[in-house]
Amino acid sequence: MLDRLDISLRANHVLFVILFTAAFVFGVMASMTGDRFYLRLATEALILSGLALSIDILLGFTGLLSLGQALFFGVGAYVSALVLREVPSFWLALGAASGASLVAGVVGGLIANRVRGVYFALITFGMAQIVAKIIYNTRSLGASDGLIGIPVVEIPLGFVTLSAGNPLEFFLVVLGGITLIYAGMSYVLSSPFGRVMIALKANEKRVPYLGYSTWAPRMVAYVLAAVIAGTVGGLYPMLRGFVSPELMFFSASGDALIMVIIGGSGTLVGAIWGAILLVAFKSVVGSWTEHHLIIVGLMFMAAVLFMKRGLIGLVKPMIERRLVRIEAAREMRKEGKAP
Amino acid sequence: MKTKFWVALATTTALAMPALAQDAIRIGVLTPLSGTYAGIGQQVRWGLELAAQEINTSGGILGRPVTLIYEDSQANPAVAMQRAERLFDVENVDFLTGTVSSGVTLAVGELAERSGRLMATTVSFADSITGARCSPNVFRVNARAGQQSVALASWLAAERPDARVFYLGPDYEMGRSTVAAFRSNAEGVGATSVGETFAPLDSADYSQYFGALRSARPDVLYTSVAGNDTVRLFTQLEDFGVRANLTVLGASGTVTSQNIAAIGAAAEGFVTGVGYSTLIDTPEHTAFLESFRAASGGADPDLYGADSYGVLFAYQAAAQMAGTTDTDALREAFRGLTWNTPQGVKTIRAGDHQAMQQMYVVRVEGGEFRIVGNVSAADAIGDDLCERF
Repeated sequence: MLDRLDISLRANHVLFVILFTAAFVFGVMASMTGDRFYLRLATEALILSGLALSIDILLGFTGLLSLGQALFFGVGAYVSALVLREVPSFWLALGAASGASLVAGVVGGLIANRVRGVYFALITFGMAQIVAKIIYNTRSLGASDGLIGIPVVEIPLGFVTLSAGNPLEFFLVVLGGITLIYAGMSYVLSSPFGRVMIALKANEKRVPYLGYSTWAPRMVAYVLAAVIAGTVGGLYPMLRGFVSPELMFFSASGDALIMVIIGGSGTLVGAIWGAILLVAFKSVVGSWTEHHLIIVGLMFMAAVLFMKRGLIGLVKPMIERRLVRIEAAREMRKEGKAP
Repeated sequence: MKTKFWVALATTTALAMPALAQDAIRIGVLTPLSGTYAGIGQQVRWGLELAAQEINTSGGILGRPVTLIYEDSQANPAVAMQRAERLFDVENVDFLTGTVSSGVTLAVGELAERSGRLMATTVSFADSITGARCSPNVFRVNARAGQQSVALASWLAAERPDARVFYLGPDYEMGRSTVAAFRSNAEGVGATSVGETFAPLDSADYSQYFGALRSARPDVLYTSVAGNDTVRLFTQLEDFGVRANLTVLGASGTVTSQNIAAIGAAAEGFVTGVGYSTLIDTPEHTAFLESFRAASGGADPDLYGADSYGVLFAYQAAAQMAGTTDTDALREAFRGLTWNTPQGVKTIRAGDHQAMQQMYVVRVEGGEFRIVGNVSAADAIGDDLCERF
């Protein structure tokens, strides 16, 4: 028997498969028409979708509002950039970015998880601002100018070596990475531990009565989210060839939050759809008028007011109903066959 | 659905581009049209539009008209890089200009190099752009921080010999580097440094620094704060009586036409070194000033507007000399290029791609800037620190 969480996760998988297929077809077609810009823009959207996904783990499942998630994205990006400037190795840079964000996540989590609710939001916001300010003023890290001079790397995957300089190859690498992150997080959430995380969002006060610690799952969720944000952050300098303190500013965290809300929080896949939508929308509207920020703001307000479960909320119930019917039919067949 | 749309869009632009490129010379303008620096972006826009209009009515460049294609950099390098890629790959621009913050100029310069295109900044001050971090594809037609400091230091040597100088900068990279640049120039002409302090951006209260300032007994104060910070610093200096017997010097951006009215009488006597002043008295400049005011609805050009106006004429001169818009030929033509601007003749130094130009020392008198001195282009330029080419 499947419970509601299983059905919900399966509906997410359906939406993810649609996204993956669409992205794959788009990538191949864009590459065939010789397009560079839209492929690289889509790659950036996928990288940012990792950041959005990490926010969704906190906001949509654990019930923690982080206003400074870009901190870990930035830590990953800076560490990856610094490593790449010395040793142009993809795996070393990515490993260092993950490791650094793990450490940053543990330190940040120990501080932020002492408090709840609005105080948690403010502390995450403050930590990101402090670190961004420090980097903004540190000359050896490029200060306000950021770091440039990051070489194009080769990506050895064992059976084949791809290049971050080739738009299609790097797009596929990032798409693969996001798929792994999505699959990994879906697995964690469907595990008993994941259910404790979700219970925290539903009713944190009751969780201790069921015999579970609330601190540990909250901490693990926070560190997991930090590592995901830092790992995708490590991909950013490989795409753009530079990093700047703006990557950690509130505008970056805020944008990622908007992606989650527009896409639909608590679905994982909604964050990815939201990221693709927002990046595409900002790019098109941004070229069209300089008042694009107003339009994005209005869109965000409309999403909050009229689509409480985000864009995904419009189609997900439909998919869920169908999955329930299929499941019910299967149960019936099973019972019919084994009298 | 969305995928189809993107592919359709990409295909149509890819098909449309070569035909268009034959007709017009496409200049990408990546400048802040929204946010903190939107005021600078507006000046850049006025300057470029006026120049493009004048070039187009007089026959264009190599017989082709000039088209300006704008993208909003939002003064955020992460956004600017993406927008620059769009200009290079989708809009297929021949040349890029308009970048404001030094971080954006440096990052986009690297992209220009990868894309095999040339760019020029008309605004960024950081010395490193045409110094330690120079690029063969990046040019600068405005005066860098070093040129401004040299001009100001030469005035200091003539008017306040053996000055005791106190430095007060905004506490971030730009503030620290402008103070360091002026300090070394001032000490080079015999001034004594008696102290320096850095105040956070957007400080509301500067009086906490006045104790250190007074006890150091300087007769010159150098500051590189900008915008509303200048308004607060100057009015507080006046209110606390610290201003008496003190000559206040500053960076080009400290007192501008944007904040001079708000500072009021406290700006009186302020001296700075700039590459442009609305009081330049030449027939070319008078004509420029008139047409700029007509195009901007009455607003005066500032250094950003004037330098941006000039960059298109540099491009025109280089393209006509090269006879093509091909990157390598154009780069050669730009090196050592001499061309006329409303600010006078400018020359791009081949060694580091920095424009050499006459620098002015201006002073606020009666609420307006007056030119009180100038430094020749050769004296202001400083050493060539670029090692890449």
